[in-house]
Amino acid sequence: MSIQQKIGVYIYENGKEGKGIIDCRAIAEYAKGLPQVERVTLFSEPKKLNPLVLADEFKKAGFNRIVIAGESPGYFKPAFNRAMAEAGGDPDEVRIASFREHGVGLEGPTDRAKAVVACAVFGIPFGLAAIPGKVPVNPATLVIGGGVAGIQAALEIADAGYKVYLVERLGTIGGHMAMFDKTFPTLDCAACILTPKMVAVGQHPNIELIVLADVQDVTGRPGAYQVKVLKRTGRVDAKACVACNACAEICPVSVPSEFDVGIANRKAIYIPFPQAVPNTYIIDGASCTYVQSDGKKCGACLKKCAKDAIHFDAKDELIEFEVGNIIVATGYDTFDAHRLDRYGYGVLPNVLTSLEFERLTNASGPTGGKIVVKTKKLNKRTKTEEWVFDADGPKPKAVAIIHCVGSRDQNFNSYCSRVCCMYSLKFGHLVREKLPDAACYEYYIDMRAFGKGYEEFFERIKDEGVHVVRGRSARILPKGDRMIVKGEDIIHETVIELPVDMVLLAVGLQPTADAERLASMLGIERVQEGWFSEMEYNVEPTSTERGGIFVAGVCQGPKDIPDTVAQAAAVAAKALKSIVSGSIQGSRHRLTLLDIEQRAMSLAV
Amino acid sequence: MAVRVNPKLIDDLEYYGAQDVIKCYHCGNCSAACPFSKEPFVFPRRSMRYLQMGLEQRLKGTLEPWLCYYCGECSEECPRGAEPGETMMSMRRWLTAQYDFTGMADIFYRSWKAELWAVLIVALLTGIGLLLYGFNWGGGNLSIYDGPQAFLPSSAIHTFDWIMGGFLLVLLYFNSLRMWYFVMKEQRVPKIKLSIYIKKLYVLFLHFFTQKRYSECERKRPWILHLVLMFSYLTMLILIMLFLRQVQDGPAIDWRVHVFGYLAAIGLITTVILAIRGRLKKTDPYHKHSHESDWMFLILLVIVSVTGVLQHVLHRVGLYAPANIMYVLHMMGVVPMLVLEVPFSKWAHLAYRTFAMYFSELEVEALKQQAKAQQPIDAARQVPQAA
Repeated sequence: MSIQQKIGVYIYENGKEGKGIIDCRAIAEYAKGLPQVERVTLFSEPKKLNPLVLADEFKKAGFNRIVIAGESPGYFKPAFNRAMAEAGGDPDEVRIASFREHGVGLEGPTDRAKAVVACAVFGIPFGLAAIPGKVPVNPATLVIGGGVAGIQAALEIADAGYKVYLVERLGTIGGHMAMFDKTFPTLDCAACILTPKMVAVGQHPNIELIVLADVQDVTGRPGAYQVKVLKRTGRVDAKACVACNACAEICPVSVPSEFDVGIANRKAIYIPFPQAVPNTYIIDGASCTYVQSDGKKCGACLKKCAKDAIHFDAKDELIEFEVGNIIVATGYDTFDAHRLDRYGYGVLPNVLTSLEFERLTNASGPTGGKIVVKTKKLNKRTKTEEWVFDADGPKPKAVAIIHCVGSRDQNFNSYCSRVCCMYSLKFGHLVREKLPDAACYEYYIDMRAFGKGYEEFFERIKDEGVHVVRGRSARILPKGDRMIVKGEDIIHETVIELPVDMVLLAVGLQPTADAERLASMLGIERVQEGWFSEMEYNVEPTSTERGGIFVAGVCQGPKDIPDTVAQAAAVAAKALKSIVSGSIQGSRHRLTLLDIEQRAMSLAV
Repeated sequence: MAVRVNPKLIDDLEYYGAQDVIKCYHCGNCSAACPFSKEPFVFPRRSMRYLQMGLEQRLKGTLEPWLCYYCGECSEECPRGAEPGETMMSMRRWLTAQYDFTGMADIFYRSWKAELWAVLIVALLTGIGLLLYGFNWGGGNLSIYDGPQAFLPSSAIHTFDWIMGGFLLVLLYFNSLRMWYFVMKEQRVPKIKLSIYIKKLYVLFLHFFTQKRYSECERKRPWILHLVLMFSYLTMLILIMLFLRQVQDGPAIDWRVHVFGYLAAIGLITTVILAIRGRLKKTDPYHKHSHESDWMFLILLVIVSVTGVLQHVLHRVGLYAPANIMYVLHMMGVVPMLVLEVPFSKWAHLAYRTFAMYFSELEVEALKQQAKAQQPIDAARQVPQAA
């Protein structure tokens, strides 16, 4: 800053700051005290930003640098750029101080916002000024979540020769991807890609796989986190069990299978799916007669097991260890379609969610991959009629796929879930492939085929005879055995009512139910929608504000499999960098305002 | 046909209450959710599109806003909060202003202050006029309420009522004629034969008296309330236009006439109170947004009902002078309400909505006949297809 600068600071108050999160008036006071700041202006009416009026202001004050501060001030940049140009200044000297991008909202939000403003005033990127000091690192890594992201990250690190603890909540790794039939747009078999990786994880000498487990507590500092993991017992000895299925054959209890999202049943002792890793049976205490009756009833599997692998007296155990890095890859939940009663999910038997259809069309699913409609069958035990999938049941003559269920809707999730369009197109392909006589309709708002080969896939499924209808359906009404899908075709401006036999709801993605608990335990931030916050949107999409804690996959924001795998590998590279170099950056939010300010000032000079 | 675009239209509609049209991303949920949205009238999304594009000419000739009864289903389900229901309501206000050749409706909708001033001026003129009349040409004695010697003799008021009614009918007639011209002549609708006009004439009466379409909404309550309000009004209108002398005779109560008046008064006051409560509580989607003109209408209704009931009560208990004063106050509410609201504001819908139902049925019928005429040609042209 050799030339004499005259800096004008504009702070946008959008009302959220007033609620005690960020104190804009305090920031304004602070900015006034910064060197060479001429004037600080607070504004709250974006509509009133007239570039010509602004230009007059700039000219009068003789500003040669403008700082726009606020939640997402980039929105106003065009107006200020034009004003700067009109005033004869350099539009490049319009600097952005984005609170959202630089992790304001963490501890001491106002201080962080001040630091962001200070960096912009000095003309130094925040990421350059706010670099935490380095601390030594423990080479072991914890991966939370055994979906495709967790698997990929664990394998990358373990293959490099370092210890990984992989903690999975369910009885098998694989996550949602293991449930899928095909991947888009290549139509590869999902299981064929994933299961070898799962087996590699199960057999890897550097990976300690802990399934049926929850991370209970994380303490310590970056580079040396003490982790407590509660491993719930499956009541079956993993070393002894050979997965012969004798126990499941004799078990009298039948409950909906989690892996088949309820469209098929499993026993109380079960393996989630035949290729599960670890390939060990699990006893579900909640449904097992023996566990529920304290050993007074049943116990059939105990007698049947030839390997004496079943131990009903096994207890949950608390595992403690220390790691240097933590990779969070907890994935997502799908939107609960019950919340949208106009689609009749849960009332009309043949309205399915996307995951249910994935299982239905999957060769390892209840019908062996045949697409059929549900038929009414008498449940012999409960003497009630139930709608079930029967492999010999009637095939649907027409299938409707409804996009954006729970997504892009301000009453539910206002964001785009990013994968639904493409998986819906994939469903369209699968329906036409397996049932060439069936009509298939896709009701969409906007077709978001944004990736490599995606638009081509869209064109391909149109050629395959899938009818794409622009316009979201509003109603699904029962009509005899069939259903009527009512929606507006907005291109032809007509309301169409199509009779169909099956409706697939392309439900969106949302953060997992325990994301909040995990975030507060790990000390990481979540964005408004509930996804974990990355440190910098553009340049640090995998790190978090807390040193040594990384995010990968959908838990950071909706993304498809290729992006998830790419991010997982990127995270592994980050972790490996710290392990190999022996030290890691501490937490950025430990930096004080003074630290950042001084560093920015020294860089500026 | 070239279409002229008015890019300011969407901002213009803000004066009439449509704030959120810009948010619409055209998913079509509203049109599919609406029980009335059938070809050729697919709404409200199409109108939202026209608004966003500024197609003023097309909007001027559209019937769609009048076919909407604002049950609010579309607004509740709208994923963008674009308020299609309220947009339809605003479009009705805008169309009322377009149909009105005097330009008064436009001024009143844009500025509630102008409307308030107009109401006050008309009320004041009415008050002064009635007092002058009463003292100079009428009975001249404030303490006589009924009979030929009355301060305001019912025969004089009766004549005044008929003059006012005629004036309102003429205004509505010309405005409805403009509506017909915009809808039927400026738009490219199929040519409608006179026989269809005559054949479908019954629709006018059917919709006016039953509001049959309103009853087809998923919510039935608003329809019932509206029907009660309308019949209460109609009863009052008949009583005043045809039986004013009997109504004002007294002080003994003539049950053959007055029972209708009492029922109508109860119906009026109940529905108005419910409407005010709804607009204050904002729980129903159709009560969430209130334009200034809605409040003006409701407040005038309250004033008219309360003063009307009071003058009646004062007369019956024998307080003639206060009854006469209350009567003048009542007229100071009634005259501006009728003179300003019927041709220039909310009340105009009694004509436009009924005509819209009629015109829409004409169009449907004409399209049906057209399709029938074309069918043999189409059938010959079409290649047989597998089902």
